[in-house]
Amino acid sequence: MKLLFLLCCSMVYCMGNAQLYQLAVNVTDPRHNPVPDAQLRIADHKTHVVTDAGGTGLFKELLPGTYYLHVFREGYQPFTKKIAITTHDRSIVVTLQPEAGLLQEVQVNNTTARQRKNQEQLNLEIIKSDFIQKNLGGSLLQSLERLPGVKTISIGSGQSKPLLRGLGFNRVAVIDGYIKHEGQQWGADHGLEIDQFAVEELEILKGAASFAYGSDAIAGAINIKHPVPPAPRSLGGNVNLIGKTNNALYGGSLELHGRTQKWFGTGRITFQDYADYRVPADSLYVYDYPVQLYRHHLRNTAGRELNGHLTTGYISGRFKSVFDITNIYNKSGFFANAHGLEPRNVNTAIHDADSRDILMPYQQVNHFKLINRSHFMIHHHVITMAAGYQNNHRREYNHYVTHGYMPAVYPDTMTIPVNLERAFRKNTYSLNAKDMIAFGNHELEFGFNSEIQKNTINGWSFLVPAFDQKSIGVFIYDKIHLTDRTLLHGALRYDHTGIRIHDYTDWFPSPVAENGDTSAIHISRAGNTNRDFNSITGSIGINHNRKHLSLKANIGKSYRVPIAKELAANGVNYHYFSYEKGNAALDPEASYQIDASAVLDQNRWQVQLSPFFNYFPNYIYLNPTPDHDYLYGAGNQVFEYRQSRVMRYGAELQITYRLLKNLSAEFLGEYLYSRQLSGNKKGYTLPFSPAPTALMNLTFQPIKTAPFHQTYFSVDYRLSAPQNNIVPPEKKTKGFTVLNIQAGTRFIIGKQQARLSLQLQNAFNTRYMVHTSFYRLIGLPEPGRNLILSLKIPFNFLNHKEQ
Amino acid sequence: MKYNQFLKMTLAVALCGSLITGCSKDNDTKTDTEYPVIDVTTSDAFPKQCSELRRGTAFSAKIIVSDNAELGSVSIDIHHNFDHHTHSTELDDCGLDALKTPVNPFTLIKSFPIPAGNKNHMVSEEIQVPATIDPGDYHFMIRATDREGWQTIKGLSIKIK
Repeated sequence: MKLLFLLCCSMVYCMGNAQLYQLAVNVTDPRHNPVPDAQLRIADHKTHVVTDAGGTGLFKELLPGTYYLHVFREGYQPFTKKIAITTHDRSIVVTLQPEAGLLQEVQVNNTTARQRKNQEQLNLEIIKSDFIQKNLGGSLLQSLERLPGVKTISIGSGQSKPLLRGLGFNRVAVIDGYIKHEGQQWGADHGLEIDQFAVEELEILKGAASFAYGSDAIAGAINIKHPVPPAPRSLGGNVNLIGKTNNALYGGSLELHGRTQKWFGTGRITFQDYADYRVPADSLYVYDYPVQLYRHHLRNTAGRELNGHLTTGYISGRFKSVFDITNIYNKSGFFANAHGLEPRNVNTAIHDADSRDILMPYQQVNHFKLINRSHFMIHHHVITMAAGYQNNHRREYNHYVTHGYMPAVYPDTMTIPVNLERAFRKNTYSLNAKDMIAFGNHELEFGFNSEIQKNTINGWSFLVPAFDQKSIGVFIYDKIHLTDRTLLHGALRYDHTGIRIHDYTDWFPSPVAENGDTSAIHISRAGNTNRDFNSITGSIGINHNRKHLSLKANIGKSYRVPIAKELAANGVNYHYFSYEKGNAALDPEASYQIDASAVLDQNRWQVQLSPFFNYFPNYIYLNPTPDHDYLYGAGNQVFEYRQSRVMRYGAELQITYRLLKNLSAEFLGEYLYSRQLSGNKKGYTLPFSPAPTALMNLTFQPIKTAPFHQTYFSVDYRLSAPQNNIVPPEKKTKGFTVLNIQAGTRFIIGKQQARLSLQLQNAFNTRYMVHTSFYRLIGLPEPGRNLILSLKIPFNFLNHKEQ
Repeated sequence: MKYNQFLKMTLAVALCGSLITGCSKDNDTKTDTEYPVIDVTTSDAFPKQCSELRRGTAFSAKIIVSDNAELGSVSIDIHHNFDHHTHSTELDDCGLDALKTPVNPFTLIKSFPIPAGNKNHMVSEEIQVPATIDPGDYHFMIRATDREGWQTIKGLSIKIK
């Protein structure tokens, strides 16, 4: 008892003796406006403080020592800083960087972007809507192709799929508002159903990103950030108009938004209509068959797009909940003279009468999405939850053409419409949650992702059976601030996926010879199959940031679950003259990758080098065999899914040099090498390996151009080396050079700043082919000269306090 | 400043290193990138573009294929083209009959593996054209592969009288 009393006395004595100090924290945004309602926390200190209307929060009684201060505010990136309290009261200013949107410029020297990149474990590029508008392509992905390490597999003028460092299809996860975008990932002949006008900011993560995003992110992820809600007590919108000469595209996007203090709503409608695109050629050869092009038009590549978005939500200092409803609709034709690779006879009189009509073959895609995202801040926790429903419906229409043993005349007893070649319908339900806690020098995140998919098929042609898929993943991630300059990352994840494949039997009989007798049999293409996959992935990374230099290294294991097509395809893909045969015994694909990056940022110079090395013990690829299959393959070459060891390495290099105050030069280069180390294609590369490319840019930004602002003139000179490193059934692709010109400015309309941008793509109408194009195999050139004009005019009905 | 110079040097060395290793590896791959060849023009080959076959008779199909390394297999496929939807891979146009609806068109699919180790091969096969089938425009598709999986396709337009 005495001892306890003494102890208490001594403690009181000590406390009385130790001086307590105040820490005043003033939180502002990058424009130096105060940020109220921000949560300030000092680890190991029981109280947490919320900033007042002036953006100030006060910790009253702090013992001398070193503390980690964490600052959280909805709409801003979390902030952590080491603070030393020594012998006097302190007052510090913290500048929070918005999550997206508020800062419009995309430049490498943008401090927000740099800070974000410096904090991130993987190689990260941040793209803002300005970049997209400046480099607007036929689709979102085509607009991003300027970036090193980003390529697309394109079909026609409006459809493309991402390729990150040469890996694509379902090896890149696309995340839209914290929910994985689930389209028909496996095919090359359709795009990503994302409205590029609705994207305010997106992040491209290159590298083994499965630990953060699960299966499919084995090569990286494209993370589409949700737009920041409009400012309080505002009512306004913007209109975006676009026109392109190559395919006579016209379109527009209208956005309206409004917010009371806590409730907000935005709506957007986007419309695009385009004609057949033009190539710098009069005639083409599909195999040896000559195809005459009418006025350089690639017959039947016209299309249209209609998208609608509705967002509504509630925001307070500690809670935010947002509902998004999106519907993306697209109808586009396929080049009529070659459906896939098959030379087709077409009625040129009908096709050439109108370049805007969409005749057979064509596809129709509708993607509906309903997502809710909620954020809470409770004590030391920042909790994010997202629930989503997606419906993707893709239909491919074509004249009924008999192949193999299909009946010569389509039976009228069939319930499948006569022109419906294939259809896929995917229903996806997702639920994700994560919690972030900051303590000491740690920022700890843990959570789960779960998803249920139901896939059904339709059409008279068969390739992939219907299937159901369930997956769940749990992860933990810690970011440790070792010092102010050094960050350590560690992540661990476990995933389970179950796939249930449904049986399928041909609707028509084929003659099967057995013991000398030939009988007509409806062939069974797929049986009921169940597969379960488990994977553990993880990564360790380090960042070291100095004033002019940022270094990053990361080593990680990523994985991908085989998709239904790889497991159970068993049909003829007439578009490729191939019989594709799945392999039910495939293992989940694993990838080990080392990434590094070094960024040097000095007055005039910015240099970024990002090399990587990647090893797959079991890469899944479609192997063309020497065999032809008479029964299941109707005489076509057999392509089987196999696994092989694969080694890949490469690097991207970005250099920016400011020559004068208003003149800067840029170099963007990428190199990639891949090689199969085992299996039937040992020694060969991987399919769709991009050729080494370089882009040289010169940008002139005159300073005094009033009444115009931020005017730029810019020239991109793109060079591509030949790609002679090929694998069956590819063809070698020659190198090329293409010149693109961009110009743009801003001016005031009413009280708002309108933005005008102009692009001349393929200025010299060069005839060239890109190795990763879907149509490369039949030698279709890339689009010819294209002038793109885009205008964005914001408007405001209610004047709120200027930001 | 010394520190910065050191960094620049390091970057330059890393860059050169990655470029050199990148380029030097490219030439040591000796993979086969040549397609097999289907010769439909020599006098032995049959059918040829625009050949005519007779119903109720047999003909001897002779497919001559070659490859730089090793052949894989050959597949033939005879199907009607009464709807004019597909066309041949060849330059010559044989003229098409009027569009018509098939009633009992001729369909034949057959594959022929080629024994291992062959660079040149001729598939020789007696094919009976049934007497009851629809006459008219047909396609005679030939697909040939090599051991590595390169495939060449010839689509010949033929007529069955």
